[in-house]
Amino acid sequence: MEVSTLTSVAFWIVSAVILGLAVIVVTQQNVYRAAIALAGTFLGVGILYFILSAEFVGVVQILVYVGAISVLLAFAVMFIQDVTTGSRPSQGRAVGGTMAALLFAALVFASYNSDWTSIDSITDETARAALTDGFVEVGEGDNLIVAAPGLVDADSPIVENDGVLVNSTGPLGVLLTREYVLAFEVIGLLLVAALLGGLLLMRDPENEEAEA
Amino acid sequence: MTLENVLLVSAALFAIGIYGAVSRRSVISVIMSLELMFNAVIIAAVGFARFTPAAALLSGDPLTAEAVRSALTGHAFAIFVAAVAAGEAALAFALVFAMYRSKETVEITEASELRN
Repeated sequence: MEVSTLTSVAFWIVSAVILGLAVIVVTQQNVYRAAIALAGTFLGVGILYFILSAEFVGVVQILVYVGAISVLLAFAVMFIQDVTTGSRPSQGRAVGGTMAALLFAALVFASYNSDWTSIDSITDETARAALTDGFVEVGEGDNLIVAAPGLVDADSPIVENDGVLVNSTGPLGVLLTREYVLAFEVIGLLLVAALLGGLLLMRDPENEEAEA
Repeated sequence: MTLENVLLVSAALFAIGIYGAVSRRSVISVIMSLELMFNAVIIAAVGFARFTPAAALLSGDPLTAEAVRSALTGHAFAIFVAAVAAGEAALAFALVFAMYRSKETVEITEASELRN
C-alpha cells in the first residue's frame, strides 16, 4: 500500500515531535512545564490521526485531550503547591528504564516479525473494487446493498484511496449507533459513574458536618 | 509510513509512558504518564484501521454496507478508549485532591499509608 512521500515526511516529523515532548513530560522536574509538554504531545497525536486519515478521532483527540484533560491537569498542578518534586532516586529510574527498554524491544520485535494482512490479501474482486474504486450504500433499513458510485447520489460511505474511507465521520456515527450501540450506552453510564465518584471523593466530610 | 512504522511510534510512546509511571515521584506525573500510554494505544488502533482490511472484507461473503463500515472498527475503538481515559482522568484528579487534603503531599510513596 503506497503512501505519498509528503505524507511520510509529515508522519516522521510529527512522530519525532511527539516522542521528544513525551520525553520532556517524563524527565522535566517542574511539573507545570511537564503539563505544558503533555498538551503539546496530545496536539501532535491529534495531527498524527489526521495523517492516518482518521479525521473524527483527531477532532475528538483535540477536544477531549487538548481541550479538557490538559486544562484539568493545569488546574490540578496550580491547586497543589508542592508539585515541583522531581523523580525518584536512581533505583526507581533504573527499574523504569529497564522495563521500558524491554517492553519497547518486545513490541517492536513483535510488530516487525508479524505477517500483517494488507489490502492485497483481499481476493474478492467486489470487495477490492469497493475499497479502491469507491462505494455507495443504496436502499434503506435492512435492504441496504453496496453499489458502484454514480448509481445514486446518496451521501453514504465512499471508500477509495487504497481502502481508506473518505469522509469517515458519517459512517463512523452509523457504526457507533448501530453495531456498537450497547457499548456506546455503557460508555455513557461509565462516564456518569466516574463523575459521580469524583464528586463523592472530593466531598469534605469535616466541613459538611460543621455546616450541618 | 507503513503499519510497522506506526506501531514503532506507538511502542516508543508506550515505553516512555511506562518509564514515567515507574520512575516519577509525584502522583500527578504518574497520571501524565498514564495518559501517554492511553495515547500510544489509540495510535496503534488507528494505525491498524488505516493499514489492515477488516475481516469481513476478507471472508469472501457478499459485500454489505456493514462489511465496508467495519473498516472503521479501529476508529470506534479509539473513541471508546478516549472516553474511558477521560473518565479515568476525572476520577484520578479527584483522588489526587483527596490525597492532598489528607496528607498535604502528592508524593506517591506516601500513598501506601492512605486510609480514610
